[in-house]
Amino acid sequence: MKMRQGIQLIAQAAIYTGFAFLLAYFSSQPPYERVPAGSALIKLSFAHGAERVGACHKRTYEELMALAPNMRAPIDCPRQRLDVKVHMKLDDQVIYQASLPPTGLHNDGASITYQRLVVPSGYHTLELGLIDTDRTKGYDYLSKRQITLTPGQALAIDFKPGGEGFVYE
Amino acid sequence: MHSLKALIRYCLMWVEGWFDWAFGPKWNPTYCLGALGYFYFWIVGVSGLYLYIFMDSGIPASYLSVEYLTHDQWWLGGVMRSLHRYASDAMVIMVALHIIREFAFDRYRGSRWFSWVTGVPMLWLIIIAGITGYWLVWDMLAQYVAIASTELLDWLPIFGEPIARNFLATSHLDGRFFTLLIFLHIAVPLVLLFIMWLHLQRVGHARINPARGLAVGTFAMLLVLSFISPATSQGIADLSRVASPVELDWFYMWVYPLTDIVGPATIWIGSFVGTIVLILIPWIPPIKKKLPAVVSLDNCNGCTRCAVDCPFNAIIMAPRSDGAVFDFEAQVDPDLCTSCGICVGSCPTATPFRRASALVPGIDLQDPSLATLRDEMEKQAAKLTTPGSVMIFGCDRSLKVAKFKSASIATVSLPCTGMLPPSFIDYVISRKLAAGVVVTGCRRGECHYRLGQAWMEERLDGIRDPRLRERVPRERLARFWAAPTDGRTFARDIEQFQRTLIDLDSKATDPEQSEAAQ
Amino acid sequence: MKARALIKWRDEFSLGIAAVDHEHRELVSLVNEVLIAMDQELDSDKVLDALGEVYAKISAHFALEELHMRRESYHEYMIHKEDHERLLDEIRELMDAYEDGEYLENREVFISEITEWFVSHFSSMDAKLHDIRT
Repeated sequence: MKMRQGIQLIAQAAIYTGFAFLLAYFSSQPPYERVPAGSALIKLSFAHGAERVGACHKRTYEELMALAPNMRAPIDCPRQRLDVKVHMKLDDQVIYQASLPPTGLHNDGASITYQRLVVPSGYHTLELGLIDTDRTKGYDYLSKRQITLTPGQALAIDFKPGGEGFVYE
Repeated sequence: MHSLKALIRYCLMWVEGWFDWAFGPKWNPTYCLGALGYFYFWIVGVSGLYLYIFMDSGIPASYLSVEYLTHDQWWLGGVMRSLHRYASDAMVIMVALHIIREFAFDRYRGSRWFSWVTGVPMLWLIIIAGITGYWLVWDMLAQYVAIASTELLDWLPIFGEPIARNFLATSHLDGRFFTLLIFLHIAVPLVLLFIMWLHLQRVGHARINPARGLAVGTFAMLLVLSFISPATSQGIADLSRVASPVELDWFYMWVYPLTDIVGPATIWIGSFVGTIVLILIPWIPPIKKKLPAVVSLDNCNGCTRCAVDCPFNAIIMAPRSDGAVFDFEAQVDPDLCTSCGICVGSCPTATPFRRASALVPGIDLQDPSLATLRDEMEKQAAKLTTPGSVMIFGCDRSLKVAKFKSASIATVSLPCTGMLPPSFIDYVISRKLAAGVVVTGCRRGECHYRLGQAWMEERLDGIRDPRLRERVPRERLARFWAAPTDGRTFARDIEQFQRTLIDLDSKATDPEQSEAAQ
Repeated sequence: MKARALIKWRDEFSLGIAAVDHEHRELVSLVNEVLIAMDQELDSDKVLDALGEVYAKISAHFALEELHMRRESYHEYMIHKEDHERLLDEIRELMDAYEDGEYLENREVFISEITEWFVSHFSSMDAKLHDIRT
């Protein structure tokens, strides 16, 4: 009986040890590489509202009369915003380009983007351009930089209107 | 699907057989996976309380306070942290095994849908609790978790601005986000605790704690593990660096690499659909409609044995409704009754010696009724022709006994072994319907109806009423608890038992010869 | 049937607990049915039927009595319960002996054993229960 109990305890210890190994191993291994070694990450994210689709205009007498009496605001401003057009070039190659629609039920909110771009580390030329008006040529904001990305670096780029626009971190 | 379930069952029973050998049925962890889950929850809770006392919130206060606990107070705080982590991981494994087991053994049908359905929200809560916990440390792993979680959540159209923007760069970080996380990490486990209570509402004599030997063993395992392989952080979070490679706790964070492979849409739709499917499982065909137990007031005096024995709290004692002089009558709630018949086995009036007219006990199943069982038993016994004959009482959910029928073996199968009133055994042996009786059913700890096997053992051992009469010769009674995978061992045991019966009978019929032999 | 052989209800059988007394009365009439069947030399099936009913009813009765004793934390519960178990073994003994034909020639003996079996418990153990409700 004692012999049998002894063997049982050893078997239990073995099972516990196996379970413990399972816990110890999978609670941290194998390591997960979301971004390949030697690469870096560029995160472009902003929330920015473009200009309205058109200029405000003063309503004429006829237009005012056509409206209900409580709705006769003298100036009519369109709420809808334009799309925000943005592009990103790395070493003269376009790695991201989009026409971001405004958010919101009436399309009057900010345009939003959140992009994670895995790029090789090292020395690069980075160009960012943004258009938030109705221009057809050129950019409202343009930013060109030389950057050196170390392996495993995460470069965050936000946008705030005014100045250079793009904010690097 | 049916054959897949059968395959899982056979694998489980085979493994459980080995664990039975190593741990003994009382300590076998595979029979109390739920209780172990609860046990690990308490360990997580207590260790969590300790960590909470010492943890600071804020950046970099969170990280630094955890580092202090892990290194400067390694012998207590560090151990608490490791216990917290490993017990949480162990809990996930227990829950996963528990689900597989309860599903494979059909323990969610009929009124048991409640236990199954209340388990589903617990899955979500456990994962959320684990994720938020890792987030609090604000090391590189937490950074990874934060970014991966918010990116995943951003797929849902519920946020105006992507919440992942909070973790874009250090300037975007808001300390108040952490206050939210601490709140979540405490609130979610509290909600989980409530559901843990709810989960057991329809479970009578619920086993919340594992057997002491098992509890001590598994706690010792966690403690030793905590000392040998302490939980550590992975460097302070730095949003200017990518958290890659990162050492994931795969028990909780398997979601994120999966998202990288299949995309957030698949993850969310899959989770949503998966949750709905899980909830609906009790109603996925085939559904066998079972009739609930019925009380015969003429035969019930309110002795309460059925209400006490019911594993599903389906019987209450209600004030008398028929004007009889007794205080109470048994009342079955048909919504909670699983038609196991364990109540019938507990009723003192359920005795086959009542040969006047119909055998109607105080509480009976409708299909099969006790009278049907007695008729079946007598019909089977009439076919026995050879010496060493045996009447096997088995159960429908375990080893199918019908295949053992022969000229010397009669079998009767009940919905659950616990349905058999011990009086039937007395009847068979005293009326010599067979030379001996074998009681079989699910293995200890595996009873499909939770307590039928245990109650039967206690009735036979004279611990639980109604007891098997002491005058019944125990050498003519054998118990071979057997899973469907134990067919061969069972056949062997029966054969051996039959040989001892033949021996007994020959000594009885020829006492002079046996006396001369002595 | 000789009137004196039937068990008559005596006041000392009453414990003042309505349910228990009711069952005692029922049991008296059931046992009397056994005695009548024996006396009228009816075929043994009738006797066995009646015995079976007694066995079932007294098992249920003991269960109810034990419940009451537990509820009142009766200090002699274990002794009383052991007596119940003994009595059930005894009635089973009588039932088996009768079915094996041991009383074919000795009906009187059987009648007196049944009567003795039934009455003795009343006067000793059950009488003490009178106290637990007061």
